[in-house]
Amino acid sequence: MTQHDSLRRGASGRPRRIEKHIGPVSCTIGLAVVMALYAIRQPLILSPFGLTSLANVSVPLALAAIGQTVVLLGGGLDLSIGAQITLVNCFAATTMHNGVVSITTIVLLSMTIGLVMGLLNGIVVAYGRVEPLIGTFCTSFVFGGAALIILPRPGGSIPASFATALTGNMGILPFSLILLVSAILLVWVPIFKSRLGGFIVAVGDNSESGRLSGLPVRRVELVSYMLSGLFASIAALFLAAETTSGDPTIGSIYTLNSLAAAVLGGVALTGGRGTVIGPVLGSFLLSIILNALGAFNVSSFWQSFIEGLILMVVLGLGGLRLLRSGSWLAVLRS
Amino acid sequence: MSLIGGRSSSTNRVLLAYLIVLLVYGCAVGVNREFLAWSTIRLQLVQATFIGLIAIGETFAVLIGQIDLSVPWTITLSAILSTNLAAMGGNQWIAFLVVIAVGVTVGLVNTIGVFVLRVHSLIWTLSVNLLLQGIALVYINAVAPTTHVPAAAQFLALGNVGFMPMAFIVWMIFGGFAILALRVLPFGRSIYAIGNRPTAALLSGVPVGRIHAIVFMSSALGSAFVGLLLSGYSSQAYLGMGTDYLLPPIAAVIIGGTRLAGGEGGYVGSIAGALTVVLLEAVLVALNISEGAQQMVFGAILLFLAFLFLKRGR
Repeated sequence: MTQHDSLRRGASGRPRRIEKHIGPVSCTIGLAVVMALYAIRQPLILSPFGLTSLANVSVPLALAAIGQTVVLLGGGLDLSIGAQITLVNCFAATTMHNGVVSITTIVLLSMTIGLVMGLLNGIVVAYGRVEPLIGTFCTSFVFGGAALIILPRPGGSIPASFATALTGNMGILPFSLILLVSAILLVWVPIFKSRLGGFIVAVGDNSESGRLSGLPVRRVELVSYMLSGLFASIAALFLAAETTSGDPTIGSIYTLNSLAAAVLGGVALTGGRGTVIGPVLGSFLLSIILNALGAFNVSSFWQSFIEGLILMVVLGLGGLRLLRSGSWLAVLRS
Repeated sequence: MSLIGGRSSSTNRVLLAYLIVLLVYGCAVGVNREFLAWSTIRLQLVQATFIGLIAIGETFAVLIGQIDLSVPWTITLSAILSTNLAAMGGNQWIAFLVVIAVGVTVGLVNTIGVFVLRVHSLIWTLSVNLLLQGIALVYINAVAPTTHVPAAAQFLALGNVGFMPMAFIVWMIFGGFAILALRVLPFGRSIYAIGNRPTAALLSGVPVGRIHAIVFMSSALGSAFVGLLLSGYSSQAYLGMGTDYLLPPIAAVIIGGTRLAGGEGGYVGSIAGALTVVLLEAVLVALNISEGAQQMVFGAILLFLAFLFLKRGR
């Protein structure tokens, strides 16, 4: 099915629906291949401990990617996700003490901070009318700077009870996976089953026609950034539990990787198109490939090279489909 | 119609950008009288040169509605490769050949991704940046870095002609070419045409592909050249030397009044933008506040400037 056909048949045509599944399906296939190769090389990876460690390295990225996806669906872009994660991570690591009361308070406060950062992004982008790219780029300095003030050097601590509660496992079921699934079920599903979800997608698809048909475009954009902040704060809490400390540089890789995972999972950077399962699968694929490099005796020096190469090949493959289209004009309009 | 309207509103934006330079310079002098001394101004001009040279290609890219985020590791890779190969080859001019080779290659790879494969330039150039980082890490792991930096690079970065820093003169020459290219050459007309109406540009015979290639190559060549200059400036090439050059050139372009969606603006404003960014950073350092507070203030000020300049539609 070429891009040309899908263009001719319009937004609701069958080809568009097939396209929607290309991302998740290819991620699933990729994930199966990578897991098979990994398991042949290192059978222990299929043990409860191995599966838990794979889930633990993938879940923070998956949470960040879900947040990024909400914003992308709404036609925006969040380049401050990494800095948001850093700020919440540093906050939690410097304030959390042992005991149910302290842990609950800090978890709730962390999520509030996430929402407030998202609110700030939303105000800047939706009401300040600043381009999302540059607006969230600027706020990332504000959040990152605040994190450096809280915690100038890696340090702080996280109670062991909180760490095990998030990173432990029960048989082959890692707690991190429960966290991820409940975040999706409690936040993503209710929102995207409601009218709000439809509004987000409509605004991302075409904000002008959304505005003309009376959608509260600005409020919808604002909410999409707040959701991104919420998911970033959950990712940060999980990272804090995983490393049992805070680090003012911990979040930086999540900005690009959340975008990459979303794109791998078939979310359109131009807005309005995407699923939640795609970015989650994309995150697992990306994280597990990087994790597997060690098992194949690939020096860690090659990590960014391989990560960049994977991204370019996947992004390029998406583009190759376009090249089969007969007319450059159709391609330009896509 | 839109061309004339665009020109006059962008002239206003350029004027505003130069007013902001004066304003920030006024603040700088207010914070510290040292900013009145020529030695301090000279230092700021050299710093602005690094950002300004990168901003040439970045201005072109933003004008056609794209962005180049592969700058940081183009800088680092070019610096490491050029100094190392020049030291090995025993001829300092090899460094310049390597700079050109790195620039052309990175530019072509960016063009293939953005124009041929139609990947969003934001994510494609970030991925290329990651790949370049990987190449630099793998290369450094195999070869010991040299402390031998070509004398020509040192002269370009540190030398003086009369009282003017050589780097600043180089910037003004390349900047002059960029302004001429945008205003006089067919290249400039094509750039504005692509930025305003990509489809119409293609239909009316603008060589869209060739323009993309020139744009991304000039951006990569600028970054690669700055890599060599920076290694001359600090007498060494090291990993991570380019990391601080991702945001400032883009900020310079935007403060200079170029519209992020493309089609409107130019390099005259970007020069003011580069000066503003460098002065802002210097003021924050002079205020003697913590690293974190510096970042917060820098981000907040940029945000305010973006808010002033960068209104989207409704």
